[in-house]
Amino acid sequence: MGGATAALDYDAELMLRVRDGDGASFAALLNKHRQPVVHFLCRMVQNQAVAEELAQEVFLRVYRSRSSYEPSARFTTWLFRIATHMALNALRDGRKERGQESLDDVSGELPGRQIPDGRPTVEQSMAAGDRLGEVRRAVAALPGKQRAAVLMHKYGEMEYSQIAKALNCSESAVKSLLFRAYETLRARLAHLA
Amino acid sequence: MSRIECEENAELLPAYAAGRLDEESRAKLERHLETCPACRESVGGQRAVWDALGAWEAPPVSAGFDRRLYARIAREVPWWERALRPFRPALIRQGLPIAAAACLLAMAGMAVHRSAHVRPAPRNAAAQLEPLRPEQAESALEDMELLHEFNGLVRADSTGPAM
Repeated sequence: MGGATAALDYDAELMLRVRDGDGASFAALLNKHRQPVVHFLCRMVQNQAVAEELAQEVFLRVYRSRSSYEPSARFTTWLFRIATHMALNALRDGRKERGQESLDDVSGELPGRQIPDGRPTVEQSMAAGDRLGEVRRAVAALPGKQRAAVLMHKYGEMEYSQIAKALNCSESAVKSLLFRAYETLRARLAHLA
Repeated sequence: MSRIECEENAELLPAYAAGRLDEESRAKLERHLETCPACRESVGGQRAVWDALGAWEAPPVSAGFDRRLYARIAREVPWWERALRPFRPALIRQGLPIAAAACLLAMAGMAVHRSAHVRPAPRNAAAQLEPLRPEQAESALEDMELLHEFNGLVRADSTGPAM
């Protein structure tokens, strides 16, 4: 916990330096958070190209917000709040696009593929039908907020309070979201146990 | 086992399955699990989900990610800010001393410049050059012609009876 606090302070300090025009501090923040953000988005939208595009937007927003940045919350929380917002918007837009496309194309699209990019990735092809594929489909079938909460909890190792701030809801709402999400996953993946 | 007790403990299950429950809550939940087969089953299932999720590794970030990002940032930054960027950390760190030094240099430069352009007072007013008038020029030319003629006469005299 102490380490996390120290890391928080360091990130916020770096961001304040970015605010003062220090490009090297932005590079340090990017280097530290690039992979967690891309991986979070990759699991959210389940398309690497789209995830990287969204991650670019996330870091661009961080850069654009530098002049007004105030360290009122943990930097990581702020960062994932932006990332979650981007991902949920992309999923919503993807659903709209899919709704329009479905008039012409009703070929069996994976439930996990929220934003179709025209072809399955290598990873998607190899994972089809196996355990990983089932896990991915089960996660993709969760509602957006539940999915984000699970991914931040499982892979981001974030505390309930951080997830709550990132999702703009109460801590008790996060507990409820997570319980329902894990119960849904348990039911869908019961045969894997 | 009461349904209320199960509901109270339900929201602790994800953190318990993840091994992130504090000691007090964990002890309370484990007491409940000893007597509640439904919650034990739920915990077992959630642990299996937790492990299955652990096998899902995201692909590595592509190599050109940073380059693409910086290119996009560069398109947003005005050219003068890009040009000043290498100096900005130093300017911020040493801004005050540099500004003070620059002010001093500027003041010294102005003083030197001013002193270099102040004309010294003329020692003798007569020494000042006055513009040449046309009549003065004509007079000077006539003097030169007279002197030339005079020189010719002198030369003729000296070369006449040379025997």
